[in-house]
Amino acid sequence: MSNPSSGITGVGLGLRAAFIERVERGEADGKIAFLEVAPENYMHRGGKAPRRLAAIAERFPIISHGLMMSLGSPDRFDDGYFTDLREFLGRVDAPWHSDHLCWSGIDGVLLHDLLPVPFTTASAIHIAQRVREAQDRLGRPMAVENVSWYLQLGMPQKDEPDFVVEVLERADCQLMLDVNNIFVNASNHGFDPYQWLAKVPLERVVQLHIAGHDRWEDDLIIDTHGNEVREEVYDMLAWVIERTGPKPVVLERDSDIPPLATLLEEVARIDTVYQAAVGRWQRQQGVARHG
Amino acid sequence: MVALAAAIRRLDAPEAVTRDAVGFLAEFGVAGPDAQALLARGSQRFLIYRTLVHNRLRAATREFIPRTAARRGKEPFIADFAAFMAEHASTSPYLRDVPGEFVAWVVPRWQADASLPGYLGDLARHELLEGEVKNAPGGGESPTGSPLALDAALVFDGSTRLMQYGWAVHRLPYATDDRSDPEPEPTRLLVYRDADAKVRYLELTPWAASVMATLAVGNEPLGRGLSVAAQALGEPLDDDKLAKAAMLFAELADRGVLLGAR
Repeated sequence: MSNPSSGITGVGLGLRAAFIERVERGEADGKIAFLEVAPENYMHRGGKAPRRLAAIAERFPIISHGLMMSLGSPDRFDDGYFTDLREFLGRVDAPWHSDHLCWSGIDGVLLHDLLPVPFTTASAIHIAQRVREAQDRLGRPMAVENVSWYLQLGMPQKDEPDFVVEVLERADCQLMLDVNNIFVNASNHGFDPYQWLAKVPLERVVQLHIAGHDRWEDDLIIDTHGNEVREEVYDMLAWVIERTGPKPVVLERDSDIPPLATLLEEVARIDTVYQAAVGRWQRQQGVARHG
Repeated sequence: MVALAAAIRRLDAPEAVTRDAVGFLAEFGVAGPDAQALLARGSQRFLIYRTLVHNRLRAATREFIPRTAARRGKEPFIADFAAFMAEHASTSPYLRDVPGEFVAWVVPRWQADASLPGYLGDLARHELLEGEVKNAPGGGESPTGSPLALDAALVFDGSTRLMQYGWAVHRLPYATDDRSDPEPEPTRLLVYRDADAKVRYLELTPWAASVMATLAVGNEPLGRGLSVAAQALGEPLDDDKLAKAAMLFAELADRGVLLGAR
């Protein structure tokens, strides 16, 4: 599957209930390139939230990022969930849909978290098959996101980037690259985040996530999306964009959410880093064309 | 995955993992290098996902029933939620459904516990209602255009809910630190989402509640529904009741709750 081209690039924001009303009122107009939404927050739901999203979707491109596909689970996909998701994606005209390289439930029970998968070939085959099935069911390209993980679910046969590459290649899908998750895992498990990045096929990157995190213990940081983005994570974002060129980058914030104006200031800071990286990429392209 | 799910859900997991993490994993056939990998950062790290999952789901639940959670008390609420996770947990892909799943599971247990205030379950159901009606997938449907007829069922807005409590929990103050007791009083509420997506509450008389139970919940045709409603109260269906039913229908139509005949 080719890298889906939506024309969406630049820095956007993950839409949250805490500030959806302000976005609807126009307070983010001209300050973000697009919005990313979690479809589960609008599927199978009436009232204000879907109405607001419909109004917002008139003004901003919408990217869809799901939470509950549970790609790593042995459970069968939930038919009702996929029916609602497909309908939602059509409604917001999402160019692709992403979800996480994780599992969220087993034996019919859903735990509503991003739980780690084993880094094995069997696991990669299973997930890749489910990604292909999801693409067929949704009628749209899928991207998978690398997650933060806090323990190894069994003895790994490979490291995380090799595992991610195996899933991408077997599923022939896109990568929703979360640079904060790489930083969190590198800190918690002691590896070089740039070696991680160097191993994945950047041509499969369709979108990026950037966020902050919190330290829980001396040797443990948790991907809370509850803080400002750290300098090291900005650097990783720039490193990727210099190599991929323009992509949609989403700022995620899920806890201790500040006022929208503060988030938009952070979006502007990310955009400065992003534009500088795009400029370096463009110069590289020029050198490559004329060299 | 089964072992990690058990560490997240099982009531005795923190104690069992702390005492003998290798033995806990062995229960699920996890041993050797796999067990070593899972426990590489110590047994407490193995429990980190339990903490994350419980914190997240409990916080989402508390957000929907803040006064109930406050009255239950911090530690008992944590224990109730842990028991819910162990015995039932969530089966919905929507996080906003978890509070309802918890309340449906816990209320019978609270009602069976004589040491707890008798109204606690009603308060939980009442608090939950706000979010349930606010987010109900149904609602906002157009009027049917068909006039009411005795042989036709009525159509109500899809967000409409009929609630019955043994306590007047709907009159309690909204402050989470309030500890006043509600009156022990049979209470019947009709709840719906209006055109501006605001949740509205109507207190119903026994007759109005009986009518709504047969027509909105039971989906009886109007004529039969009125008879059944009167029988349910052990009273005759007289002119006074018919007049009051007509007034109820007029008000509900005016509020956009009654959409016409099917």
